[in-house]
Amino acid sequence: MAINNPSREAILARIREGLRTPIVPIEAKTFDGPIFEPIANPLERFEQECKANLMEFHLTADASASAQILRQAFDSLPQGEVFVQDDPALRKMVGAAGTSRQLRWSSEGRPAESAQATVTLAEALVAQTGSIFVTSGCGGRAATVAAPVHIVYATTSQLVPDLVTALRNATVEGKLEKNSYGCMISGSSRTADIEKILVQGAHGPMRLVMILEKNT
Amino acid sequence: MSTSTANPTPAGDQPQALTAAQKFLRDAATKSADLGHREIIRKNMESYEAGHQRGRSRFKDWEAARYKCQAIKREAVEHLDKYLLQFEEKVIARGGHVFWAANNEEACNYIKDLAVSRGVKTIVKSKSMVTEEMHLAPVLEAVGIKVWETDLGEYIVQLRNEAPYHIVTPAMHLDRHQIRELFREKLGEDIADADPQKMVALARRKLREAFFAAEMGISGANFLVADVGAVALTTNEGNGRLSTSLPRIHVAVTGIEKVIPRLEDLGTLWPVLATSGTGQPITTYSTLIAGPKQAGEVDGPEEFHVVLLDNGRSGLLANAEEREVLTCIRCGACLNICPVYKNIGGHTYNTTYPGPIGSVLTPHLRGSEFEHLSYASSLCGACTSVCPVNINLHHHLLHNRRDFTIAAKGHSAERTQFKLFRTVMQHPRLYAFGGWMMRRSLRLLYGMGLAGTILDPMRAWSRKRTPVPLPEMSFRGLWKKELGKKELGGNSVGNK
Repeated sequence: MAINNPSREAILARIREGLRTPIVPIEAKTFDGPIFEPIANPLERFEQECKANLMEFHLTADASASAQILRQAFDSLPQGEVFVQDDPALRKMVGAAGTSRQLRWSSEGRPAESAQATVTLAEALVAQTGSIFVTSGCGGRAATVAAPVHIVYATTSQLVPDLVTALRNATVEGKLEKNSYGCMISGSSRTADIEKILVQGAHGPMRLVMILEKNT
Repeated sequence: MSTSTANPTPAGDQPQALTAAQKFLRDAATKSADLGHREIIRKNMESYEAGHQRGRSRFKDWEAARYKCQAIKREAVEHLDKYLLQFEEKVIARGGHVFWAANNEEACNYIKDLAVSRGVKTIVKSKSMVTEEMHLAPVLEAVGIKVWETDLGEYIVQLRNEAPYHIVTPAMHLDRHQIRELFREKLGEDIADADPQKMVALARRKLREAFFAAEMGISGANFLVADVGAVALTTNEGNGRLSTSLPRIHVAVTGIEKVIPRLEDLGTLWPVLATSGTGQPITTYSTLIAGPKQAGEVDGPEEFHVVLLDNGRSGLLANAEEREVLTCIRCGACLNICPVYKNIGGHTYNTTYPGPIGSVLTPHLRGSEFEHLSYASSLCGACTSVCPVNINLHHHLLHNRRDFTIAAKGHSAERTQFKLFRTVMQHPRLYAFGGWMMRRSLRLLYGMGLAGTILDPMRAWSRKRTPVPLPEMSFRGLWKKELGKKELGGNSVGNK
């Protein structure tokens, strides 16, 4: 379905006309080193940044330890439904955690307004900023933002050193071709709109729980 | 918004309509004398400045980062047509729509018609300065649609029926007690201790219903990524994500200059924008929206529209000196450091974009009625020194002054003044005589207690301040005396 676009050609013509005016190009400069400090130990940096981003960070040795953490996270929640991305790894882990909670899987639709938590995987983890890269492939769009608590299950092999690498990989792997939505999540939802005072839990999750399993 | 002296203002709050420039001067005088306002802004800016410095120290080479961002944005603007078309092609291929709007009216009508034809009753908006520029919300409200601003600061100023005070922190001019009072009055709940945490929780509760009920979400865009065809949106609260995830229709509205070439460019732009905007290493949610819900996806809007607004921007491309103004990433750093902004406040500008960038941009977008903003600067250059894309802001204020003066062929009073100035400067005796006259007559005037009155030529200063003490001797007199001394002592002045 094409939409009516009466001004498109006129705007493009004005742009092209304007660009005909020559301007002085910016002076070519070279700098001695990189923009950011190189990251020597991605895991260490990731943990440090996650904590600075006010995330709850758990590094686990294996799947059963991860399930244990998940169980603890479930136990800390008020009564109510939990939404889980429908993925074999998560089905297995939720099974191992052994909860009696009402679960809704992403294959049944988006999380309910009343969902107490969502559990998803991640596409990649970024050490530089303690960021979790998710796409709509991680249980949908609302799955990573709509509930008061977001629990992420990821492995150390998903860790990349910096943002540029993560975004370059996303381009090469066509992450935004396959998915209509992506988000670099760097902490719990927050605002400082009142007197620049930091308050956690504006509209998105108040708690972001990272369960990072060692597999490298 | 033009005012005319022929029409009396209906509300009667003004005896006569003022021009934008007169209103600016009046409001600037009022605000800069408002000590409560000054205290709130000082606190906010100090907190920002501390964060900003901390943020910058995380970069190994901040100057290299600025240069990189400048180069990325320059590349995009220099090939604006190419990158916009690339972006459009990608969006359409994924089932989205791109509407090109020449002006505010076209953009507003497109969104209004879309909302009406889809039976939209409720809209959730995440923060977008371009929709402020377009005055979109009143257009939608006029056809009976409820519009919720969902960014906390925007929500607060919307409840107050006010324009945003600042492009990043819309409610910067209010303290917690004023917000408590507002919430008590408008939301019917009193947060007794004005605890920000509790007030945020109240807003969250109120807006949550809107998020799940709305049929349309409207967002802005921080960047349009050409190579993958995605809208990049950064928010801390998560309102931007909810507005673009839950409703059936998502409309992203932005200026044509927001396009960037590649996804990986965000690896530099995101941290630089966050550092300059709030001092954060990266904004909490850096979102990429690349189309409507695709087959097999769990959720997301069925319709995705991008509205690209020109509204005078393409005209700037032909301006060899000022084209770079289009590379602005709207971080607000120039507002935060500007001594003029900190004293007169955001609302005094009476523009969508206040502060140095607004003073440069507004006359181009809204015409010569706003040329007075070119003078709302001490030309100290602080804005230029913090701009993350190296826009030469204070020089552009001078360019605008020059261009407007040439276009208007100079105001006649100004021309006379400059003629007089030139004559005096060319005749040292005349200059000396003038200085002597001024010192004597001012001393006489001040002796009679007439400082700051209409008779005082220094009234602009002394109206609200202690008059500057008058020197006993002129600079020339002092120079002669000191020089004479040194020559007597055989000091460094040497022989001529």
